[in-house]
Amino acid sequence: MSDELNINKKTKYKIKTKSSTASGRGETDIDYVRPAELPEQDLYHGHSFITKWIFCQDAKVIGVQYTLTAVFTGVVGLILSWMMRMQLGYPDLFPFLTAETYYQMVTMHGMIMVVYLLTALFLGGFGNYLIPLMVGARDMVFPYVNMISFWMFFVAVVVLMASFFVPGGPTGSGWTLYPPQAILEGTPGSGYGILLMLISLSLFVIGFTMGGLNYVITILQARTRGMSLMRMPLTIWGIFTATVLALLAFPALLVSSIMMTLDKVLETSFFMPTIIKAGEALSYDGGSPILFQHLFWFFGHPEVYIVALPAFGIVSDLISVHSRKNIFGYRMMVWAIVGIGALSFFVWAHHMYVSGMSPWFGFFFATTTLIIAVPTALKVYNWILTLWRGNIRINTVMLFCLGFIVTFVNGGITGIFLGNVAVDVPLSDTYFVIAHFHMVMGIAPLMVIFGAIYHWFPLVTGRFLDEKLGKLHFWITFLGAYSIYFPMHYLGFIGVPRRYFEMYDSPYMTSAVGMNEFISLAAFIVGAAQFIFFYNLVKSLRLGKPAGKNPWKANSLEWLTPDVPPTHGNWGEKLPVVHRWAYDYGVPGAKEDYIPQTTAPSEVKDAEVEKT
Amino acid sequence: MFTGLIFLAVIIGSIVFHVWTPWWWTDIASNWSAMDNTIILSFWIGGGVFILVCLFMVYCIFRYQYKEGRRSEYKPEDKKLEKGLTWLTTIGVVALLAPGLVVWNNYIRVPDNAIQVEVMAWQWGWKYRLPGQDGKLGASNNRIISDDNPYGLNIDDPNGKDDVFVESNELHLLKDRPVKILLRSIDVLHNFYVPQFRSKMDAVPGTITYYWFEPNKNGEYEVLCAEYCGVAHYAMRGKVVVEDEVSYNKWLSEQETFSSFTAKNRNNKLNKKKFAKINNLSSDKNSILKEQDVR
Amino acid sequence: MSDLNLDKLPGGFKGMSEDIGSDQTTFKGVNWGKAMMWIFLLSDTFVFSCFLVAYMKVRASVVEPWPYPSEVFALEMMGVPVPLLLIAIMTFVLITSSGTMALAVKYGYEKNRKMCGWFVLLTAIGGLTFVGMQAFEWSKLIFHDGVRPWGNPFGAEQFGAFFFMITGFHGTHVSIGVIFLFIFARKVFRGDFDTGRRGYFTTMKSDYVAIEILGLYWHFVDLVWVFIFAFFYLW
Repeated sequence: MSDELNINKKTKYKIKTKSSTASGRGETDIDYVRPAELPEQDLYHGHSFITKWIFCQDAKVIGVQYTLTAVFTGVVGLILSWMMRMQLGYPDLFPFLTAETYYQMVTMHGMIMVVYLLTALFLGGFGNYLIPLMVGARDMVFPYVNMISFWMFFVAVVVLMASFFVPGGPTGSGWTLYPPQAILEGTPGSGYGILLMLISLSLFVIGFTMGGLNYVITILQARTRGMSLMRMPLTIWGIFTATVLALLAFPALLVSSIMMTLDKVLETSFFMPTIIKAGEALSYDGGSPILFQHLFWFFGHPEVYIVALPAFGIVSDLISVHSRKNIFGYRMMVWAIVGIGALSFFVWAHHMYVSGMSPWFGFFFATTTLIIAVPTALKVYNWILTLWRGNIRINTVMLFCLGFIVTFVNGGITGIFLGNVAVDVPLSDTYFVIAHFHMVMGIAPLMVIFGAIYHWFPLVTGRFLDEKLGKLHFWITFLGAYSIYFPMHYLGFIGVPRRYFEMYDSPYMTSAVGMNEFISLAAFIVGAAQFIFFYNLVKSLRLGKPAGKNPWKANSLEWLTPDVPPTHGNWGEKLPVVHRWAYDYGVPGAKEDYIPQTTAPSEVKDAEVEKT
Repeated sequence: MFTGLIFLAVIIGSIVFHVWTPWWWTDIASNWSAMDNTIILSFWIGGGVFILVCLFMVYCIFRYQYKEGRRSEYKPEDKKLEKGLTWLTTIGVVALLAPGLVVWNNYIRVPDNAIQVEVMAWQWGWKYRLPGQDGKLGASNNRIISDDNPYGLNIDDPNGKDDVFVESNELHLLKDRPVKILLRSIDVLHNFYVPQFRSKMDAVPGTITYYWFEPNKNGEYEVLCAEYCGVAHYAMRGKVVVEDEVSYNKWLSEQETFSSFTAKNRNNKLNKKKFAKINNLSSDKNSILKEQDVR
Repeated sequence: MSDLNLDKLPGGFKGMSEDIGSDQTTFKGVNWGKAMMWIFLLSDTFVFSCFLVAYMKVRASVVEPWPYPSEVFALEMMGVPVPLLLIAIMTFVLITSSGTMALAVKYGYEKNRKMCGWFVLLTAIGGLTFVGMQAFEWSKLIFHDGVRPWGNPFGAEQFGAFFFMITGFHGTHVSIGVIFLFIFARKVFRGDFDTGRRGYFTTMKSDYVAIEILGLYWHFVDLVWVFIFAFFYLW
């Protein structure tokens, strides 16, 4: 490679600096973009059905594969949540719901939703589809590794699902898998169930690492001409930062999985202290259960942002496109994403205030946690300031964005309660926590996912989703989900602990019965409403209104491909050349209210562009 | 129009719900009213931000709905506004954090006159141990727990001789006297939580954790396990009775001490030996047991 | 093919900020595979750090005495126990193999097919020797001294657990490296990198830069060993 770099001896750096200082000196000057540094990418084009659709190396197909697999696990998670709500709302009505099955459902629901749905969907699904398109690459830098990444994920899902069918069933240790109980008798699925869970997680980490390296290198090293980092859409910034977080946080999960597997299989004592069961000491001795919690949350907290940051990025783009206005404070948005990502490695122990770790940690982690609130709040301000003085299309996509803002602000503020160490003491391990994290990293990212699907469906399939069904889907989902989780906070105030199979013999908790029934009903309705969405997807695939090119009048590169939907290689003969950021909406002096990224300055000479 | 109204209704509904909710915390029965106050403070600041942000959003929906041909304002950045918002948020965050840290500082510093109470958690129930006349708990080790020594006390530690065993789910506490709860677990993680006392901490096998509170209201309270501990987690309840000195002392005198417990056991020794022979155990092994021997 | 001249790029902090602010690539002139290996190694660093931090935490807090490494890892030489003899040799072999790897990379850039191939092969043999010696050490500990992951006669049982887990994990890295070194030695000798032959699985063109990428991995594995050596055998 290095010899290739020396072929051309002349440098263009001088011209570049000239062009940046003296814009408007002449037409050739203002349109100048540095010549290509890299040779054209060498792509493998599939010929058979198998290489085109199954073992496919096209990032777009891999993205769709990721999405479908993740959505499938999501449906499983949804059904599990229904069954949990059946028990909580109407205890003793369903004899097949024992405490064992209840705890297994809690665990599988949590793990599926956090890791196998949200992480896989945002990074594997949206990441694969959008990164090459939005940075102007032909594909991911290593398409083959990318393909393996998906199939690793697929195997991880199969292993996870297999745990439903092994003797003892899936693990019922809670999604945090805290030892010692996770691998001891007394917790359902402490035999095969927990082993399969740990194996599945390890496979997921390995598979994800392959994909994640691809995303990072594609964004860093394979952008098209003119696409500087500060011209990238915020979607890419969000996915990029989240991927870096994942690459650095998943190792802790891998290590804790390996160590717990050894504790289970070889009876080592990494996390296992002396344990007395039925009057007899087990063979474990001297391990530290808190060590696991540190490792787990060193993964677990960045994991929250692995889910949240892509959502932040995507929602910024959706809001900007549909309110026909540039995103407010782009630079601050980028720095906020990066800052939140960096800080997220220093806050993990706020999940452990009452875990029995040294109480002095409380001061440090409460401070860092509340510091994170500042960039997060700034992002919220910038979203609503983007709406301000915009030209807002109230369509399904925008509705989901608005729903995101409400749920995210709500959940973010309850997060400040829980991050503030002394306030956390009465609230931790209660339903307040459940309500908080479902609001902020369950409903809010899901709102973004739905919005993003309504937004990009025309790109992927060439057809619109049905707008009427979409609005119906939104209102049921948003109002339903809000009425599930908003009142749930108040259960936490009463003091109802989480992970209780049933709870009603405490005198002060009897008032919660009615609320639990209400929440359960709302949950059934919201869950059912998702099938409107699935129906819409299937229906619109064949019968949707044809979208044509760039139906939303967006600026970013993915809408500017020669073919819609984009084909393998994305860009036809020539790679696009980028001249501006992705947010030139409503520029005064321009003919249209949007200027796509590929439009050269000489084509829109009258436009008074402030940022390039 | 319709959209904005519904969002407005959601915000107003949230406020109304918060004001009129029948679901609120139980009456506090300990000294930690400061925790409740920080929660209230968080509600004022956080709730204020929530309402302002959402109202502004609703305003934008009403005011800037799509009109064909209208241009949105083009203003990529506004340094002054961004700076102002950053400072405002920082001040808000500091206002929330500072009282929280002060309360936490009190939470982890136990007053000198606190009575020590050991809470021993097991799957699935609670046991308690109180220091005797000397006010000190004897050293313990989970490794040497047996039928003869249910708390795994070190036989050689004189502090342990007069320790009071409470082998039931029910614990009595003196009103207006700080208690330092020392948490032990013999198997998995548990958490000793009484909602009315507001405070909680995990019991971790292998270490001893602590927290403190001062019960200030007579009554019976339910103890809940607040850290998932296996299939009967939800059924792991206990009872705390807060009472005045007279009834407390009466209750205390009914409990067994370590020495009376061992004396009682010695009487049963003959039976025990027989039992041990059948079960292939050594009944007095625990007195000479050292860590290394048990493998 | 490329208009980039690395020598003419501005250096220092200014150059860095200009590179980051520029389009197309952030790390100028860095091959995709090489960048990917660097990021992977960063991620892998976190894996090993987690292992080592967990080890340090447990070792610091465990109640039972930790076995004394220079006795446990001593080797009997002519009736005299020499502490850390085997480990010293293992470390020496592994570090030496890093040297041969560096030479292989150098010859790779000179497109010196023969020399490059021989040095890659030599590195592979060095790695294999290391793995073999590690297997010997493990079997000595297991069969001779009775050290098991769940207990040992010397003291705290976590000693065996951490030892086998961390050295095993590192040994797996070395073994994977050795396998790839052998494959690449064959590829070099066959001339894949001169002709740009396409990979069997990936259908990507081969290039000598692959040797450098493999070298990065190999040096990383050596570096990790230095840390394991320090924390396990010298502490």
